[in-house]
Amino acid sequence: MNISCGDRERIFLDGSAEEWAALEQHAASCPVCAEEVRGWKALSRAAEELRDYREDTQLWMKIESALRETGERKVSRRRFWERLGTWSEIPLGWRTALAGALVLALAFSGVYFLRHQNTTDLGQNRLLKNSALAEVERTQGDYMKAIDALAGQAKPELDSPSTPLMASYKEKLIVLDSAIDELRAETGRNPSNAHLRYELLAMYQEKQQTLQEILEMKQ
Amino acid sequence: MGTVGLTLQWEHRISPVAGEGGRRVEPSQIAAGQNRENNALPEDAALAAGCLAGDLRAYERLYHLQGARMKNLARNLLGSTTDAEDAVQDTFLKIQRSIGSFRGQSAFVTWTFRILVNTCYDLRRSRVRRKEQAQENSDEAPRPEPRAPGSHPTLRMALERALAALTPHQRDVFLLYEVEGFRHAEIAAMLQISETASKNTLFQAKKNLRGMLEPPRSAEAGAQ
Repeated sequence: MNISCGDRERIFLDGSAEEWAALEQHAASCPVCAEEVRGWKALSRAAEELRDYREDTQLWMKIESALRETGERKVSRRRFWERLGTWSEIPLGWRTALAGALVLALAFSGVYFLRHQNTTDLGQNRLLKNSALAEVERTQGDYMKAIDALAGQAKPELDSPSTPLMASYKEKLIVLDSAIDELRAETGRNPSNAHLRYELLAMYQEKQQTLQEILEMKQ
Repeated sequence: MGTVGLTLQWEHRISPVAGEGGRRVEPSQIAAGQNRENNALPEDAALAAGCLAGDLRAYERLYHLQGARMKNLARNLLGSTTDAEDAVQDTFLKIQRSIGSFRGQSAFVTWTFRILVNTCYDLRRSRVRRKEQAQENSDEAPRPEPRAPGSHPTLRMALERALAALTPHQRDVFLLYEVEGFRHAEIAAMLQISETASKNTLFQAKKNLRGMLEPPRSAEAGAQ
């Protein structure tokens, strides 16, 4: 086989064994090709320096442990599916019946749980609301009685007001009573609304203050 | 980069091989001929069958045969022994997980190395992302960690630096062919490229490495 310097790079790239042999033969008489072939092969020799094939038993122990762990998980998963697979051996009729029974059992237990839980919650809430409301209602009733007693004392002055100021007080009390009636009707519809209760209290306090002022004028 | 190679005068440290006889002059075949026989072993199929059956002894055998080579390749690809060990362990777990999908289109060993290479790529990518977050240069090649001294430690260091200057693709093909001794067909299967592309890449990698490591050619050589 005839090889020239021009063939060198092609043989470096993808030369056959015969071509390499011919190139070396040519290199024996061509110093340039000899240098190039030497350099090319020396690079491959140098690559051996990057080879460190010492056995690492510790690494294997780590790998083995990880493999074992993953393998066991895999096996337990497979067992689960295998056990589930035995389901297919049961006749279709029985399977349907069992599935239906399971659905029913789940539905009943769910409904029972929800109802039981709701009842308990509602009972507890109602009890708390009732006791708190009873206390508010009782206090409110006492307060109303006290104000009614005060209004009784001021009644003669208000029925026939002798001065324009008294007539003004009378009008104010009419407005206050009207507001109180509205708020009481509102609290009757929404007894647990604390805001309405505070509004109502403020009205009562205003009425009490007005009545006291009327009585002070009378004296 | 080039100056390291220029002052190295490595041609005086390595015995010239031009005079050596041999049918194929590719040095990797001489150095790693043993590795190239692996795929021809009937053990390859037995290993695959053992791993498929979940036999830990098969995995142990695979590690015994290829573990050191896998770790070496991973270390050269990643530049870190710790990362290399992680990559090898991850590879074994991936083999265990996906052995069912092995259809025997390639040798079992080639398939395992393909997984290893992809695992190394993943690690390399995640490292690049971390570097980008740290506003470092993402194209920077891995800095190899110190390891057991070879017969030419200075040469090894110079080669590692020169390899770092190659493109990642050229570096990978060079390492797989010249260091680990894989055939172009195997490299093609691992990197999912054609055999011709593997040959061209290796040729370009070696040319670049020579340019970086060797003293300037004589005028006569340049003319030729």
